Amino acid sequence: MKNSLKALREARGWTQGALADRLDVSRQTVNALEKGRYDPSLPLAFRIAHLFERPIEAIFEPDTVPAP
Amino acid sequence: MTSELDKSMGDRARTSAYHLDFWPGIVGYVVVLGAVTVLGDLDGTSPWRFLWALLPVLPALWVIRAVVRHVRRIDDYQRGLLLRGLAVGFAAAMIASITIGFLDVAGLDVPLAGWIVYGVGMVGWALAAAVTNR
Repeated sequence: MKNSLKALREARGWTQGALADRLDVSRQTVNALEKGRYDPSLPLAFRIAHLFERPIEAIFEPDTVPAP
Repeated sequence: MTSELDKSMGDRARTSAYHLDFWPGIVGYVVVLGAVTVLGDLDGTSPWRFLWALLPVLPALWVIRAVVRHVRRIDDYQRGLLLRGLAVGFAAAMIASITIGFLDVAGLDVPLAGWIVYGVGMVGWALAAAVTNR
């Protein structure tokens, strides 16, 4: 899954560590999220959306769009 | 902006908590192992030698407790990495155990079989952790 987490973080001038503390996860987890190696759990996705004040689908983009 | 390789405050707190849990167990294990080796008379005939031989299990249980508490503290992603590493170590230990078991059935006496199984399991865990944490 693609995401705009890195761009959103950098726009706020936060390090990965600073974002990790705000999300209560490890810096390693933030790094994995940004590189697309890890898709967050639903609670973590909601925490990210809440932190950046955007809907989840504005931050995360599935690789394939499900058929309607 | 500081390096992106910085550790978060949460990382440091979790690491400190883990070290506080883990190291007393390891130090205790080494101390007990030393005491068992020197005082246990494991090669002797005293019935107490069995109790001496079981003594290192106590600090080992403490270490297991530390790992379990660490697993509860870390986030989902790290938990997945850690448990995958443990699963690889467990599988390696099981394969080693089965292999040694069959060799034993075939009449080949493998010395220090228990330690071999332990070593293979630990090496499997360490290698898996190194690969998944790249």
